[in-house]
Amino acid sequence: MKMKDSVAIITGGGNGIGESVAKYLVQNGAKVAIVDMAQKNIDRVVGEIKAMGGEVIGVQANVTSEADTAKFIKATLDAFGKLNIVVACAGIIRDATMLSIDKDTGKVTRKMGLDKWQPVIDINLTGTFLTLRDGAEAMVNGGWEGLLVPISSVNKAGQIGQLNYSSTKVADALMPKIIVGEFQMRGIHNIRCVGIAPGYTATPMLTGMNQEILKGLLHDVQIGRLVQPEEVAALIGHCIENGAIDATTIEITGGLCYDHGIAK
Amino acid sequence: MTTFFYNDAEYIVEPSGYNIRRVMPDGSTSFIGANLFPTLTASEAEAKAQALVKSIQPVGIKVVGPDISRPNMIGDLKIIGPDITRPNFIYWDKDSTSFSKTS
Ligand SMILES: NC(=O)c1ccc[n+]([C@@H]2O[C@H](COP(=O)([O-])OP(=O)(O)OC[C@H]3O[C@@H](n4cnc5c(N)ncnc54)[C@H](O)[C@@H]3O)[C@@H](O)[C@H]2O)c1
Repeated sequence: MKMKDSVAIITGGGNGIGESVAKYLVQNGAKVAIVDMAQKNIDRVVGEIKAMGGEVIGVQANVTSEADTAKFIKATLDAFGKLNIVVACAGIIRDATMLSIDKDTGKVTRKMGLDKWQPVIDINLTGTFLTLRDGAEAMVNGGWEGLLVPISSVNKAGQIGQLNYSSTKVADALMPKIIVGEFQMRGIHNIRCVGIAPGYTATPMLTGMNQEILKGLLHDVQIGRLVQPEEVAALIGHCIENGAIDATTIEITGGLCYDHGIAK
Repeated sequence: MTTFFYNDAEYIVEPSGYNIRRVMPDGSTSFIGANLFPTLTASEAEAKAQALVKSIQPVGIKVVGPDISRPNMIGDLKIIGPDITRPNFIYWDKDSTSFSKTS
């Protein structure tokens, strides 16, 4: 499938990886819908894409809501008349260990609360499901060629402090297998699904963090630097144009390793 | 440049490149879209712009979340559940009195 003249929805397109994906697709001739919770992010990215001469709409929506999902799909079809690419980038972290233990007494002092668990599940898992489900529905009903892209993470491997996040990202990574299997079963042959699992990526969240901690993170990365969001965007661009990539989740980590050099 | 009102908000359509903006309560403007409908005539683009605004800002939908009984915070944004008691919730075509579909 060609990027040129295709139509894409990017959730979480108002910042970080989603923003880079949106701009990359516009540079390659696609029309994009930026979906984000934060209107100020939408305004900034839509303004920058406008300056690039790209055709773009901005839809404030919460990906955890069915009504909002229906809204941004309909808006995209109203604006551009079709849908080919759906990249589900909206995601959050709320890190905490499941239990915190008092060093002196050995007793539990705090448990991960539902306030940390539930929003991560709702956005990263339910939100991705709703976005892909309704995106696929539009593609099937419209008869358009398409690619669905859930965004997983290398921490699908299971990261301490991220029981909530890693649980969602391993599920997101599995989605292409099931979705493509079901498409095959239903005789749908023109819509693919490919997940992307980035490692530490230079989004504002990471670049703005304590530089000492950041150095510690980079110690485990073989290329010795963060993955650039534009590199993730270029990988998605390749997946769009290479029609043989399907039913898998591709890692882009710069060679992220565990201690002692075993790649994650 | 033309303006129109829908669901108690003002929208600006700029013919050059069909940028659509929403006027926010504080007077600033927010983007709905940019560089849209390059091949359409002015009147077709105007009609499409109005239809697009209605699908992006449907009546009765605020910032919503998965479950009204469980408000979550994302940064400083409070996510609340959909107000399903609102009579026109989810009915995309039912408009507010301030910009009814028939007007
Ligand atoms: N940055 C990394 O190192 C990294 C690594 C692996 C995976 N990822 C994944 O990539 C995706 C993007 O990450 P990022 O670093 O670009 O994040 P980011 O915080 O820079 O951007 C995420 C965007 O999603 C939006 N968003 C959050 N909740 C939303 C909701 N409910 N509805 C709509 N929009 C919502 C935010 O407003 C924000 O603009 C996430 O799924 C993340 O888990 C990131």
